[in-house]
Amino acid sequence: MSQALDVTRDLVRGGLERARYLTTPRVETALYLALAIEKPLLIEGPAGAGKTEIGKVLAETLQTELVRLQCYEGLDEAKALYEWNYQKQLLRIQADRASDLQWSEVSQHIFSRDYLLERPLLHAITAPRKVVLLIDEVDKADEEFEAFLLEVLSDFQVSIPELGTVPARHRPVVVLTSNRARELSDALKRRCLYLYLDFPGVEIEQQIIRLKVPELDAALREQVARFVYGLRKLDLRKVPSIAEVLDWARALRTLNIRELDTVAVRQTLNLVLKHEEDLRKADGKIGSLLATAARRAT
Amino acid sequence: MLRDAGLSISVAETLDALSAVGLVGVEREVLRDGLAATLLKDEADRLSFDAAFDRCFPLITRQRGRGPRPQPTDDGAARGVGASRTPQHAVLPPERPRTEGRRHPSARDPHPQAVADHDRRRPLFQSRRVQTIPFERMSPRDIEDCDALVASLAQRFRAHMSRRQRRKRRGRLDIRRTIRWSIGSGGVPLHAAFRQRRPGAPDLVGLCDHSHSVATASRFLISLLHPAQQFFRRIRLFAFVDQPIEISIDGGMLVPHGRLDFFARSDFGNVLTSFWEQHESLLTRNTIVLILGDARNNRRPPRADILGRMRRAVRHVAWLNPEPTERWNTGDSVMNAYRRHCDEVYAASTVRELHVALRTTLTRL
Repeated sequence: MSQALDVTRDLVRGGLERARYLTTPRVETALYLALAIEKPLLIEGPAGAGKTEIGKVLAETLQTELVRLQCYEGLDEAKALYEWNYQKQLLRIQADRASDLQWSEVSQHIFSRDYLLERPLLHAITAPRKVVLLIDEVDKADEEFEAFLLEVLSDFQVSIPELGTVPARHRPVVVLTSNRARELSDALKRRCLYLYLDFPGVEIEQQIIRLKVPELDAALREQVARFVYGLRKLDLRKVPSIAEVLDWARALRTLNIRELDTVAVRQTLNLVLKHEEDLRKADGKIGSLLATAARRAT
Repeated sequence: MLRDAGLSISVAETLDALSAVGLVGVEREVLRDGLAATLLKDEADRLSFDAAFDRCFPLITRQRGRGPRPQPTDDGAARGVGASRTPQHAVLPPERPRTEGRRHPSARDPHPQAVADHDRRRPLFQSRRVQTIPFERMSPRDIEDCDALVASLAQRFRAHMSRRQRRKRRGRLDIRRTIRWSIGSGGVPLHAAFRQRRPGAPDLVGLCDHSHSVATASRFLISLLHPAQQFFRRIRLFAFVDQPIEISIDGGMLVPHGRLDFFARSDFGNVLTSFWEQHESLLTRNTIVLILGDARNNRRPPRADILGRMRRAVRHVAWLNPEPTERWNTGDSVMNAYRRHCDEVYAASTVRELHVALRTTLTRL
């Protein structure tokens, strides 16, 4: 197995630390393997658990560019891979009309790299250095696109009929994320390493808050982490993401709240819960959630 | 062992696992994560995996079984490490966040494989199986399983429709308008104009048999159609046994506007006649009529001529029959009489067939 990059576990760990991304050994191992075996890494998990962030962190670790492809319904090759710059080609033909060029020459001109609009996938493949390719929310793309992705992911080359096959100059590090809006095909899963990224536990969430909102005092930090942990166990339409929890922590800091009580929570809960229904559901449970949070804290 | 537990693992994945082992070494928890990353492709299989892992690499340092041993020299060291770590593991269950989340709070069950294993795996391969059980042989359990499946199929169906619509919006190249525009840029067609296809989404009228024998099929049909309603100008749904009753969907529940007599005997003839009389105005050139029923008419007059009249009024008539083709026209089934007046007829006796039929009919239009 050729290793273009000298990857060590320490490199991954150091990179995560530098990027201030706190996580579990499991995630670390998966990232390390993805880099070492040079296979795409498929990350699944609830929204807001930090899947996309991993792509960014990886780019930071490797000190390289992040190429991001956001998937959506109806995304097709023209938008993901390449497209001919039709307008520019026409202009060229117009310009060439004055000079007496043969058609074969003209056509050679207009089907050259200069007239190709690079989309993220092609860009990642032809980049002069190893890049991180983040294919975000693959589950939102259509199945046809997934099938097409297989080709790119297994061979890392693209064939453009007019130009021939373009092989990857450097194998990009590929990270795919999915929210499981639909089941991905087995063929795609087979080609990827897999990581399920869930919300962090109370401990790690506390550390994350400490890292990102250092002004918040320790007791409150713990309360927040435990409260949110309990909140996520409720059957909500949208569970609070880590980013929202951080927002909440900042808000508590700004409002100078020293301790979580029913009033404080009620005032600020709309920072973590974004559905009327969820708010109502959680409203009745604030007391018991706070109680359990406090009990475990002592 | 994992394959026994119902996971499908390819040879390529096994090779990945081997290189992973070579890379991460044999420290127990790291090894677990490494193997998980390469072999486990669905978090739902986590329990099966953990169980198999614990069986293959028991905490007692005697490692047996699994052929691929990374480097024999590492072995002694690994044992040493393993031994020193053992008490730790035994005393405190690792504070690692269990990735199961809400769905399976019992994740740290010491003997998970027997009970949980079975439960976890069920949705996985059963979703495939359930797709092919004929509606009439479904147990209540199957129907429950299918509900989730149908929801995901409905998502796919919706995606499919939206793609169709997009493509439609940008129809064929309109040469006349392209040239007209190009005059502005000195005869160079910088912008291509496209012909608009048939404006507006079609209307859909669905007639669903709710008699005992096919009610399940109707239910799934409606759940499939419901999320895709934005792609139609309007959807009118009618349930019938011997009378068409309009139904609507409110908060995921079916609400009939009128009394639906579930114990009546199916009478397609009467349904067609009264539908024609009461709702003729719904049938326009832009309407697609979708009928789901077994065409078992209890020997009453089929009144296929009405269906013929309907067909002449509308754009398309498609009939989905929840019975397998072999049983059509046997006994009191009068499928042939109706078939003549339909643009398309499909057998839709399983969820998969239903989905495919729906997809082909509605997207071709």
